[in-house]
Amino acid sequence: MSGVGRGLVASADITGRATGETSVAPSRLRRVWRTTRAAISQVPRAGCACFVIAFLNAAIWGIVVPPFQVPDEITHFGYAQYLAETGKLPPQGPVAQYSAQEQQTLGNLDFFSVIGHAQMHGILTNAEDKAFRAAQGTEPSPIGAGGTSSSTNQPPLYYALETIPYWLSPSSNILTRLALMRLLSALMAAGTVLAIFMFLRELLPRTPWCWTTGALVVAFQPTFNFIAAGVQGDNLLFLTSALTFLLLLRTYRRGLTPGRGVALGAVVAAGTLSKLTYISLVPGIALAVALLMLRAMPAGRRSAFKAAAVTVSVAIVPFLIYAALNMVVWHRGGPTAGGIAAATNSALPSGGTITMNETLDYTWELFLPKLWFMNHVYFLQYPLWHVWLDGSIGHFGWLDYSFPAWVYADGQDLVYVLAALALVGLVRLRTRIFSMFPIFFCFGVMAVGLFGAIGYAGIRYRLSTGFAFEQARYLFPLAVFYGLFVVLAARGVGRRWAPALGAVLVVLAMAHGLFAETLTISRYYG
Amino acid sequence: MRVRVALAIALSVVAGVLVVDMSGRAPRTAGSDHVSALIFAAAIPGDGTLCQAMGALSADAARVQMVIGTYGRPVPPLVIRFEAENAELVARGLLTGAREGPVTIPLTHISAARPSTRACIHVNGNTKVVIGGEGVPVSAGAELVNGRQRPGRISLLYFRSGNESWWQLLPTLSTRFGLAKTPIFGDWTLPFVALMLLGVWMGTVRLLLRELS
Repeated sequence: MSGVGRGLVASADITGRATGETSVAPSRLRRVWRTTRAAISQVPRAGCACFVIAFLNAAIWGIVVPPFQVPDEITHFGYAQYLAETGKLPPQGPVAQYSAQEQQTLGNLDFFSVIGHAQMHGILTNAEDKAFRAAQGTEPSPIGAGGTSSSTNQPPLYYALETIPYWLSPSSNILTRLALMRLLSALMAAGTVLAIFMFLRELLPRTPWCWTTGALVVAFQPTFNFIAAGVQGDNLLFLTSALTFLLLLRTYRRGLTPGRGVALGAVVAAGTLSKLTYISLVPGIALAVALLMLRAMPAGRRSAFKAAAVTVSVAIVPFLIYAALNMVVWHRGGPTAGGIAAATNSALPSGGTITMNETLDYTWELFLPKLWFMNHVYFLQYPLWHVWLDGSIGHFGWLDYSFPAWVYADGQDLVYVLAALALVGLVRLRTRIFSMFPIFFCFGVMAVGLFGAIGYAGIRYRLSTGFAFEQARYLFPLAVFYGLFVVLAARGVGRRWAPALGAVLVVLAMAHGLFAETLTISRYYG
Repeated sequence: MRVRVALAIALSVVAGVLVVDMSGRAPRTAGSDHVSALIFAAAIPGDGTLCQAMGALSADAARVQMVIGTYGRPVPPLVIRFEAENAELVARGLLTGAREGPVTIPLTHISAARPSTRACIHVNGNTKVVIGGEGVPVSAGAELVNGRQRPGRISLLYFRSGNESWWQLLPTLSTRFGLAKTPIFGDWTLPFVALMLLGVWMGTVRLLLRELS
């Protein structure tokens, strides 16, 4: 036994309290394990099947998309590699963003000539591949300097999890590690799909076909899968967001208890530690927790307060620790490592300042038609179609290739039809939905928070850099509503035909994914 | 029954569209020199020659595409040569009677004994020609115009012979699919992925039949 081990045993034996704690801890762990197992055993077989289907589909995408071709994958991998190699978060600063190993690999892959140029395919011949392998054989250092990149100011949870496949990799080859790390993203995507399945089960417990339909349309959604294909922090954001909606709905239906409070708090903590975007959902979540507490009060004020306090504590404490560590130990330039400051900086390089009026106009125009009194024109095309719908149908790679134009035009027509059907479906389900109006109101506040965050950061980025900020994937924390929308549309045709339409819509989603994959193959290999 | 019929029809339509899509014939790429035609990166005077270092020309490269500008004049005859390290001619092409813009030059492979290491373009006649590419610092990889190094590289896109369907390209795609990825992957990866996808589809259809019927 090591000296440290001996010391731990001795201290546990000497003080009765310490001995007591060591015996309590395993029993608590056993209880948590039993609860987790019981929760997993409650997942219907169809939910497990959706999980497996989603995982395999995302894993296929992970093989189809060449290394580093998922948006921002180079920076996300760089963060995870730095953390894996040093055990520390990137210090940021004007030093190299990537390790010599990653930098050299990007150069050998001709990465910078491929992104943004759809006619450039990268390495296509055996001779080029041989030269690539030979150049890779020089084995430069995988330890970088952790310089500032677009992801280094994000919290570390996703990257900490990615260090597991990084180190489990049987080879130190960067591309083998990347391939394994991509599988973890695929696993998170599958978790998101399962959470959507469970959300729909909670919402519509008497119609099991709806759960499968809603989950599968997300499982085959190509933009969702393109992100799931890569090392990308958004994957954990999507998972924690979907779990948040699930747990809020579940708690609304079943009541707030300390146990559910711990689960909800843990998911919120994981969300805030996955990506700062998640914070935009927090006002809505806080409102929902207040609502849940109020609903729990008739059964006992004290227990309601206790459950709410547990929820808030479990949610907040990890983030506070992270913020304190950023400031005191890691010295990463503020509690959020400069992440919030970068997204909310209103000063323009030209010297001007972005006003709140401009921000509100921008955010409105980003999602809704411009009103007569709005002076600023920020978009030449209506973003609801051009950014959000077309982007969801598919703008792939580093936004450098897409479907033929007719696909987007027909997609718009299809959305009109589905929206009309969903409206009918909503009317048919009005009793059920309206009985849950308060929690759906909170979901609405969460969605508005997300829209606001996108608009707030978007106008600052656009006016500072001249580049567009918005991408359809930014709305994917609301993926549960994508599944719900399709389910409502299917229900719009009436009880007799609804499952048949649901099946057709799933096949349509599968076809959407399939042709996005063939498009991707033609982009990079054709 | 309704779900079965709906699934059968929907899957048949998807299969039909996939067959039609895969059967579409078009020019297929055979690689490039990894340079995009972003600007006119080279100016070759009449009777001048541009040479630049490059990777090996693929054996299936039957045509090369460049973007050429002549300021409204007819494009003069051009000769493109791909040479090995010892100046041995690997392949060559001749362009005549073209208009400025993207031009495609058919290639004739002369020798496959050694890989090409540089491409040279000779402009016949008196017209100055500019060629699309990227600006790069003067270095060993930069272009040489009449023997003098210039800060640019021209873009060369290679295409395979004729028009091909995706079915015809499948063996080539299988090879390409395993390149520049983890060494675990290889020629087997694309067929494996196709089978995996088929399995996912079959599993999904089975699940839909079980849950929605």
